[in-house]
Amino acid sequence: MNEMLVTGFLIVALFLLLGSGVWIGLTLAGVAWIGMELFSSRSAGDAMAVTIWGSASSWTLTALPLFVWMGEILFRTKLSENMFKGLAPWVNALPGRLLHTNILGSTIFAAVSGSSAATCATIGKMTIPELTERGYPPERVIGSLGGASTLGLLIPPSIVMIVYGVAAEVSIAKLFVAGVIPGLLLAGLFSGYLMVWALMNPDKIPEADAGMSFGEKLRASSELIPVILLIGGVIGSIYVGVATATEAAAIGVVGALLLSAYQRSLSWQSFRDALLGATRLYCMMALILAGAAFLTLSMGYIGLPRHLAEWVGSLGLSPGLLLVALALFYIVLGCFLDGISMIVLTMGVIIPTVQAAGIDLIWFGIFIVIVVEMAQITPPVGFNLFVLQGMTRREINWIARVCMPYFLLMVLAVTLLYWFPQIVMWLPGNM
Amino acid sequence: QAKWDLATAYPASNFHTVNINQFVADVDKASGGKLKITVHPNAALFKAPEIKRAVQGGQAQAGEILLVNYQNEWQLFGADGLPFVADSYDEAAKLWKAQRPLLEKKLAEQGMMVLFAVPWPPQGVYSKKPLNSAADLKGIKWRAYSPATARIAELVGAQPVTVQAAEVSQAFATGVTESMMSSGSTGADAKLYEHVKYWYDTQAWLPKNALLVNKKAFDALDKPTQDAVLKAAADAETRGWDASKKANTESLDKLKAGGMQILPAPAALKADMKKVGDTMLKEWLDKAGPEGQALVDAFRK
Amino acid sequence: MRRALDALYDGCAWLAAVFMIGVLVMVLLSVLGRQFNFHVPGTDAYAGYSMAAAGFLALAHTLKRNEHIRVTLVLGKLTGGARRGMELWSLSAAVLLSGLFAWFSLRLVMQSHEFNDISTGNDATPLWIPQLGMALGTLVLLIAFVDEWVLELRGQRQHIGGPETRHE
Ligand code: NA
Ligand code: NA
Repeated sequence: MNEMLVTGFLIVALFLLLGSGVWIGLTLAGVAWIGMELFSSRSAGDAMAVTIWGSASSWTLTALPLFVWMGEILFRTKLSENMFKGLAPWVNALPGRLLHTNILGSTIFAAVSGSSAATCATIGKMTIPELTERGYPPERVIGSLGGASTLGLLIPPSIVMIVYGVAAEVSIAKLFVAGVIPGLLLAGLFSGYLMVWALMNPDKIPEADAGMSFGEKLRASSELIPVILLIGGVIGSIYVGVATATEAAAIGVVGALLLSAYQRSLSWQSFRDALLGATRLYCMMALILAGAAFLTLSMGYIGLPRHLAEWVGSLGLSPGLLLVALALFYIVLGCFLDGISMIVLTMGVIIPTVQAAGIDLIWFGIFIVIVVEMAQITPPVGFNLFVLQGMTRREINWIARVCMPYFLLMVLAVTLLYWFPQIVMWLPGNM
Repeated sequence: QAKWDLATAYPASNFHTVNINQFVADVDKASGGKLKITVHPNAALFKAPEIKRAVQGGQAQAGEILLVNYQNEWQLFGADGLPFVADSYDEAAKLWKAQRPLLEKKLAEQGMMVLFAVPWPPQGVYSKKPLNSAADLKGIKWRAYSPATARIAELVGAQPVTVQAAEVSQAFATGVTESMMSSGSTGADAKLYEHVKYWYDTQAWLPKNALLVNKKAFDALDKPTQDAVLKAAADAETRGWDASKKANTESLDKLKAGGMQILPAPAALKADMKKVGDTMLKEWLDKAGPEGQALVDAFRK
Repeated sequence: MRRALDALYDGCAWLAAVFMIGVLVMVLLSVLGRQFNFHVPGTDAYAGYSMAAAGFLALAHTLKRNEHIRVTLVLGKLTGGARRGMELWSLSAAVLLSGLFAWFSLRLVMQSHEFNDISTGNDATPLWIPQLGMALGTLVLLIAFVDEWVLELRGQRQHIGGPETRHE
């Protein structure tokens, strides 16, 4: 089969370039270039420049650099220290203790941010240094962050849902609402997993702080006020109509600057460090996004994802088997493409198939979003893996390995949604 | 055998895309499979603002653009976005007849051809509160998504706000915006009836999507295939206008079923808007020069 | 030469940082405009252009600080000549790819100018102007990769400032 040959060739090229240490963004562009020149009748150069410019200057992306900047500012304040001081006395009894801050933090931040990379970068800037310093095992710290930060896509607002909603012509408001319970379910699964792990490995979790009286606990909780104000302000700005979901990131930056001024950690030095740090971290992501945009274009020209989707659709499977096949298809595709590209490149073909099989399009939207979440943490191309590598300087295969349990939990979640579709449909059904 | 890529920004189920898919199938059949066109919906290949230059540069042999989007480049692209100049399907058809030769000349200079154009349904005013005259629009948050809609806001004293298409529904829900001018189908697609109560059928204008092809790619086809393309294009234009009318009825039904009130424009609002339209036409003629005047004359003949 | 190059990378990074502030200012203008009834047309487009400039102009600086990520699994296990060979290979590939990137970014600017490609939004900006940021940024990235390549060949390449990747 010719298609198989092309696929195989491109995957080999991808692994060779990545493995030999070529920078990731350039590798993606390189594979896209090879694919387009060899397997399509179009020449690559001008199309590459047009499409990279279009994606790099696209307004929808502006929340990403701003949230990255917000994280860099907060990282230089006492906010995360305060947050941990405030939370610690309450979670002492919970197996896994402060590890849950990654899950809780990501779930809350997911209600602000529509992207998993922004969630990962912002929460990670605060939790990774604090948790590591307190002696929590790095593989749990980074794994739980990588897994939980994908919730940015499932808990509204969500860029992926908007893209899907437009392509499938379903109500974006309903999709947003439909994502809430599955999002909380996933967060619960992640936390539950951490608890089970902590109960089985009690020696790997640092000792609890000394017991406190209830009054002392409450006093410690006052440390949480700044973070509550900040998050409340950002979420509130969306829901009272001051800002759109994308603009909320700017409110976040201003809030972080104010907070940092209030805590007297704002100086020319810290402002400059945060600004340049954010510029570099965003720049690292921008190079990868540029490569990914070009790879998407190249795949569009070659038609690989489209043909594979057509092939899956032509098998004439029963709804259950079709979903299994689609899950496998998207998981494999998700190893190599970023989430939004997967949706854009295949929806035209997949939606009619799914409709014909009698599958509800809102339910399918949530299904797709969770599968796209998985794609963020599957190697070799997984955006959360890249963000975590940029922040921690650890090897990508190590990061992928520690994120694996969360990938499996997402598979479990999708299975649960299949058997209990009410988890998705109940809230939008009551709108 | 030639292979073309056709870029469009709209989803596969949109009536424009359905029409284009039929056009592609017709071409395939009439050319005996000598021209295979792959449609890339959903902006999978290029995003809406990039499609024109992608066709011009030959990165895609064909592409569908919203003509008024390109008014910044050349005023005449914006002719079908002038409020209350061509305010019904028949008027829009007349305008297209006057517009087409001028457009063909301009696009030929840029190495492109226009195959056919199909209008969107007529533009009305979405509003969260009832409107009687333009005075009710004063200070209201009005979504300005194009130079024309921004100018309307200025002229009626509304507060223009910037909201991206993807966020329209949420922006209405949270009050970031309270009003905008758009077709019934935009609102039906975005399920605006969930947050907006009124749609006033002002029939302000009927913007058109045009299918462009790269001239070199077209010239490279043999004569019978070229003829097949032109024939299929003519059919697609006829079919597309009917589909637009049908989409209009269907989307207004959807809005009604969703609980939105579909109302004719009150006389005062209509009169105020007509004044806005006259001002904008005058301003447009100043910018568009003799070419613009020629177009208006041909249209009003 | 060394100082001129470093000044080039850092100068571009500062420019990128200024554009980062530009993203914030543009988005804030749009938010504040709604609250205080003023309208700056095209803030969304300007925010996008600023973001692109911030991303592209910082490319070389980020590379020099070793903050662009790559898979160093194999590289980290090699030593001596083998490591140097592999570094030279990956740098050569990077020079080629960033060269293509820079060349076609320059062509994008020239074609936008030639096509008279103007933003379709309320800003009506001739697109070659904001695209200059992409052309300049990718060109400086190419220079930085050539710089790294030469340093590697001479055995003088070191990572300034950036923390080393951890292997485990
Ligand atoms: Na979210
Ligand atoms: Na992946």
